[in-house]
Parts: sequence; C-alpha cells; structure tokens
Amino acid sequence: MNTKTYDLVIVGSGISGAIIAHQLGKQGKKVLILEAGQEVPVDRSGYMQTFYKANAKTPESPYPPTTQNPQASTPQNPLGLPNPALENVPRYTVLQINAWRKPDQCYFIYPPQPPGLTGDSQEAMFAFASSYERIGGGTTWHWLGTSVRLFPNDFELKTQYNQGVDWPGGKNFYQALVPYYEKATNEIGVAGDKEALDKLYTQFGVEPSGIYGANYNYPMPPIIDSMVDTAFGKVTSLTVDGIPVYTTPTPQGRNSLPGDRRQCAGNTNCIPICPIQAKYDATVTLANALQTGNVDIRYRCVASNIRVDDTTHEVTGIDYITYDDHLGPPTGSGTAVGTKYLLAAHAIETPKLLLLSNKNKSFPNGVANSSGQVGRNLMDHIMYLAWGLAKDPVYAYRGPLATSGFESLRDGAFRSKRAAYRIEIGNEGWQWAGNDPFTTLADFVFGQDNNQLNGDSVNQQGQPLRFNPALPANSQLFGEQLVNTLNGIYIRQIRLGYLIEQLPDPDNRVELSTEKDHLGLLRPQVTYRLRSNYERDAFVSAKQVSTEIFNAMGATEYTQTPPPPRLYGTPDQVTATNFQYQGQNFKFYGAGHIVGTYCMGDCKEKSVLNSRQQSWDHNNLYMVGSGVFPTVATGNPTLTIAALAFQAADNILADLTKTSTETEEALADVS
Amino acid sequence: MSSEMDNFIGLSAVLTGFNKSVLSPFLDPVDIKSEYLPFFKQKIAQESGNPNLVGQILEKYSSLSAQGLTPQQIGAAMLDPGNGADFVLACRKLIFMWYSGAWPTLIPANGSTPASTVSDMISAKSYTTGLVWQVMQSHPMGDSNYRYGYWAKAPASLSDYTGNGGK
Repeated sequence: MNTKTYDLVIVGSGISGAIIAHQLGKQGKKVLILEAGQEVPVDRSGYMQTFYKANAKTPESPYPPTTQNPQASTPQNPLGLPNPALENVPRYTVLQINAWRKPDQCYFIYPPQPPGLTGDSQEAMFAFASSYERIGGGTTWHWLGTSVRLFPNDFELKTQYNQGVDWPGGKNFYQALVPYYEKATNEIGVAGDKEALDKLYTQFGVEPSGIYGANYNYPMPPIIDSMVDTAFGKVTSLTVDGIPVYTTPTPQGRNSLPGDRRQCAGNTNCIPICPIQAKYDATVTLANALQTGNVDIRYRCVASNIRVDDTTHEVTGIDYITYDDHLGPPTGSGTAVGTKYLLAAHAIETPKLLLLSNKNKSFPNGVANSSGQVGRNLMDHIMYLAWGLAKDPVYAYRGPLATSGFESLRDGAFRSKRAAYRIEIGNEGWQWAGNDPFTTLADFVFGQDNNQLNGDSVNQQGQPLRFNPALPANSQLFGEQLVNTLNGIYIRQIRLGYLIEQLPDPDNRVELSTEKDHLGLLRPQVTYRLRSNYERDAFVSAKQVSTEIFNAMGATEYTQTPPPPRLYGTPDQVTATNFQYQGQNFKFYGAGHIVGTYCMGDCKEKSVLNSRQQSWDHNNLYMVGSGVFPTVATGNPTLTIAALAFQAADNILADLTKTSTETEEALADVS
Repeated sequence: MSSEMDNFIGLSAVLTGFNKSVLSPFLDPVDIKSEYLPFFKQKIAQESGNPNLVGQILEKYSSLSAQGLTPQQIGAAMLDPGNGADFVLACRKLIFMWYSGAWPTLIPANGSTPASTVSDMISAKSYTTGLVWQVMQSHPMGDSNYRYGYWAKAPASLSDYTGNGGK
C-alpha cells in the first residue's frame, strides 16, 4: 500500500506527463508518475542492438517488449509475433496490422466485418494503422520530430467549412495556445526557419501577432535541406485548387547545433530511434522533472482502475498492478492517492483505463463517461504514399528522415468538400514505400520484380518502369553491373507522404473487448472505418497531385496500385487497409498520430473534457495528449500535444492553489 | 594454395562487385567475414542437403581464379546454370548476404502473388556492415559516421565506397 499522498498522480511518462510533472515539480508540488512500461535505460545501446538485429525495422522494433521473434515463426505466425494474452504490457504494433484478425497475435480486437459489403463500401472496417509505445518516455522515442503548429482554421473546421467540429472556442482556443506553442517549441528545442514559416502563416491569413510573441524565434536555426528537398524545391509552377504548391523547410525537434544534446548526424533513422539523441524525446523532460526532487516515478506499474467518490464524484485513487518480468506474474498492487489526477497514457490506453473503471456506482459506464463519449472519435492522419525515381541523383537515405514538406495545401476553400493534407518529403528513398533497400536488392539478385524495376511494368502515365531497358526482364545481376544498377536506383529514389485529415466519427472507437492481457486487464476493441467521402476525395486528389509533382520535376512515378480490398476470408486472406473509391484501389498507411477518444468540447453531453482538459464529471481529473483533440487537423500532433500539456500544467497549478486556499479557509472555519 | 577464407573473400568480391579490401580490410576489427563463412557453410549445407557444396563452390572459384580470368568471366562461370541449381542459388544467396547482412528465403510465385524474398537478419553487426549502404553512397540507417549537414552535398564517388577506384 502506498501511503504517501501527492499533489498530482499522473498515469504515463510520455511527453505530456513529463512536461506536467516538470512544471509542477518546479513549483514544489509533489508528483507521482505511474508508468506501465519499463525504465528509461541508462543508455540506448541496448535498444540500438535490438533495432539492428530486427528483421522488420518498424517504429516499435527497438523497444521492449520484443515485437518479433523469428525463432517463434510458424506458418500461421511467420513473423513470430508475441501473444498479447501472455504479455503484461502489450501494445499495438505495425507488424500486427496484417495480423489484425488474429487475436493471438494482435493486441487489438476488431469486430467482425458486417456481411454483404463491397470493397468500396463506406461501412467496411479496417485495421487501425498506427502504433505507440508503453515504456518510460512514451511514444516520442519513435516520433519523427516534425514540430509544426496547427493553423487557426484547424480549430474551427465546422465554422469555416461546415465539416467536423470546432475546438472549444474555435480561433480563441488557438490564440490562447500561442504562448504555450512557444513554450513547447523551447522545450523540444525546435530547429526552424521563421521566415519561411511566416510566409506560410501569411498565406493562411494569420496575423503576425497571432503567430509568435514579440522577438520570438526558434531556439535552433533550421536543419539544412537535403538534396531530395532541393529536387522537390524546383517544383514552383504547380497549383492545386488555385493554391500554389511550394516546399517549406520543416520545423524539427532535433539539434541543428550542439547543445544539451548532440548535433544531428543524419542517421536517417529518427523513426524508430535516433542513436545519438540529437532528436528530442520525452526522456529529456522526464529527467528534468525527476531532477526537481519533487517527482517520483514507478515503472512497471500498470494503472488498472480509477476510484471515484460516490458523493463528490472526485477521484480518490488510482489502483495499479506491478510486475517485474514482462511475461511473469504480477508482483503486487496498490492505490496511488493524490489531490489531483492526470491521465497521460495516449489515446488508446487512456480510454481503456476509463472504461475499465466501471465499478463506481455513479459511473457504471466508466469514469468520465457520463456523455458516453469515452473512446469515440478515434482518428489518425491517414496516409497516401507516392514514390518514384528522380531524373538525376538526389542521394536518398541521407540526413534526417524528413526535412521539408509541401505545407501550402493544409488549408483552402476546398476544405468544404475534401480533406486537407500536408505532404511530407521523405529522405529515406523507398524504405517505407517499397521496403527498400532489401526489396530492390532481392529483385536484382534473384530475378524478381517486386519494385517494378526489373520487369515489364508500365506506370499509369504509360512510362515503362524497367530501370535499364538494355537488360532483360527479371535480370539476375552480379559484380559491377549489380553495383551500378543498385546505385543508380537507390540514389534516385524519392517518396511523398500525404497526411490526410480524418474527420471525427463517433463510431470509430475504442471499447473493451472480452480478451485479456496477462494481468487480466481487458484489451481494447477497435472499430475503424473511413466513412466520409471527405477523406476519400483527398486520396483521389493526393494521387493526382503526386503525378503532377513527379511530372513537373521530370521524375518517373513508381507508385504501385495496391490489390483490391478483400473483406472476407481467412485471417491470412483479408486485406487490412485496402479500399476502393471511384473505381480505384487505394491502401492507406498510418501516420502514428493517434487522436481523439477523450475529446474536449463545449458541453458535457457531447465531450469528455472541457477546454481546460478537465473532466466534466470529475473536478480533480485531467487528461492530456492527442486524445483531447476534437479534430486531427493538418499538422503532426506532438508540438500541439506539448503546448496543451503546458496549458494543462497551468490549469492544474491554479486549481491546486485554489484547492489549497479552500482547504485553509475550511480549516479556519473549523477553528 | 589459397585458404578457404581467401577463396571465400575472392569469390565474394567477384560476385558482389566490391573490392576485397572492403570485404576484408587489412585492419578488420569488425571481421564480419569470420561470421559469414561458417554461417554460409552451415546454411547452404542445411538447405541443399549437401555438406560439401560450399567446398565445391570455393574449389571451383579457386580453379577459375588461377586461370587469369577477369572478374566478369569468373562470375559468369560461377553462375552458369550448368553448375546446378543449388550451386548457383548458393552463389546468389552469398551476394544477398553480403549486401544485406541477412539470410534470404525465396518465396515462389503463388497465383497472382509474385515471387519474393524474406530476409532474416544474421546479427546486429551484419546489419551495419551490409554493402547495400555502401552501394547507395550512404551509411547504414541508424549508424551514421558522418557529420551534421553532409546530406546537403553529394557524397564521395561510388568507387570510394566499393574500393574499386581507378577503374
């Protein structure tokens, strides 16, 4: 039994939990963090070794618990995925996407596909395509580092375009967030080009005073552009829906100068792991929080239930279960007690915990869930990938994974009809798009043609795709010819990724399944569809725009048309993220931006939290992270997550002061 | 007479297109070759059912290299179908291993699904020593020895990476 009482008990040690712990710790408040996962390691060399050895270099591959075990491979489980029922802290991983119909390999449980659907049905269910970590420091271990702000119009999609919902207060919410964006930018140590971004903000009608405070600039100078960026930067004459298309350097959470951490060395590995911590991650802030001397953290400590007082409806404690070994038995349990409580466990585990907490008489449907909104409106940036070969060498696979993007299509009048997107320019060749360099290698060593460079494929523009027309199809090369062929291909590879905004859909949701993890906690059931043509129309646009961009730069497009969706069949036969629209086959990818599920809103009937990120139902309960976002908006979420965490810290500090004053007054009355 | 390792490196250089000095540098603290040779022998014996196949491959290479042939001629002779399917496939897998640091399993075409390759990473060290990173004039993803900003400039010439300069 834990007998110490804290000002704040936090569940989760990711960026939000760490920022708030640090802010409160600096003010002398006593904070306890419950972290379900393993400790932040002394150094990251162990994670690096796991990454190097991993067959699939997925975002989760370096981190415990193990995501793949070739020794456990079977015909039914070729990748050797662990059984989530045997794990104390399972999480959803990218490798589970294609195993989404196999509960002994996939942490999420998915409802059965409704019968009688066709591949273009809006009711078709898909696998969720993004993942997260359950370890000390959270998912920023594998974030990309992109630190863009959302735009004012992102906060009032309903008012401006009659789509989705507004954030509470709309543009006022944005204005209130501006100083916190600055704090977040400083905390992460963002390297950015203010002048280039000013141009963008001006295009979107943002007053300079609405962007930065006086004399503000990024804490680090911009990360230098890659040669890939330079090639795309030559695209200057295109317009989409009347909007000029141009590249903008991406503000990034990685060191362009040596500082407290090392200067970026271009490991081209931000996801899954920066080997030298040039990229910010939340362990930086977590260490600072612990340094205050006022913050305690308990690792391997899984929050399992939230207790609520039946009369006051205040949270009275958070129950937890401890373990030593990830596959071992539970080693204890307890209840963490504080004045205030904060859930910072990201957008899957937070609603799971709220829904698990259904033993309180007044809240039989789960804590903070009088609205029935907990778990609803699960969103992501659904991604369209396009790839090609540049005319001249661009020397891919060098530098940070992404250093520029096409940002100018993140807002516009088109948004009343179709989703907006930002286009990320990849520096990693076809690693994501085509599982390279190994697929192209195998193609030319063994005479295969999986990347269309060694066969008779023709792209949709009618261009033949065989890399060297002088070679026969399915060539098997060796020696100098192999060297020159592979080199010529790899150094020209380019990739675009479209982060398409997904509308909130209350039926896209996290619920509790009947399957359990090794601690006996029910696992999430996830329902995920793309029901709106708003999103599907953006895929059509993305496909067309990619082709135009590639044409404008003289590149040859190699984007592969995915196979048609298969909704019914055995778990090995069904597709996971393939869909049809307007007669075309698409496949979506995840951006890793898990958003929604405990949204803020204007009224308690329709949302879980008020605009202070405080539960409508429980005065002393707060929630942070991208789960609070009412819409996914058009930017990568982490900078906004961090800004909202600073804002929440101020709210919690103010409320703690109020609580303390009220207590003192009450004591004075008694005396 | 050459040692087994000499033949292994010589054959590997011919087939990969990289210079022996890259595969087996004079100062070689990584020494991936000493991991690859026994691994290669073991895998090929297991997969072909012929414990002597690697020995036969290396002998053939030794014999060809003694004839003063060019690397192109030796490679073509080693990969001649007349050597037998297992012999040629072993040579091709050797190429893949050096480039990727992983061991390949070939999946035949099945209906509309084309033939593909699944790879199994041999070790953390083999990943970082894969030639594929050199042939793209870069570094292993996650193991850069370069400095800030190198990505804004063209890399050194390809021959600097393959060790086949001056050609």
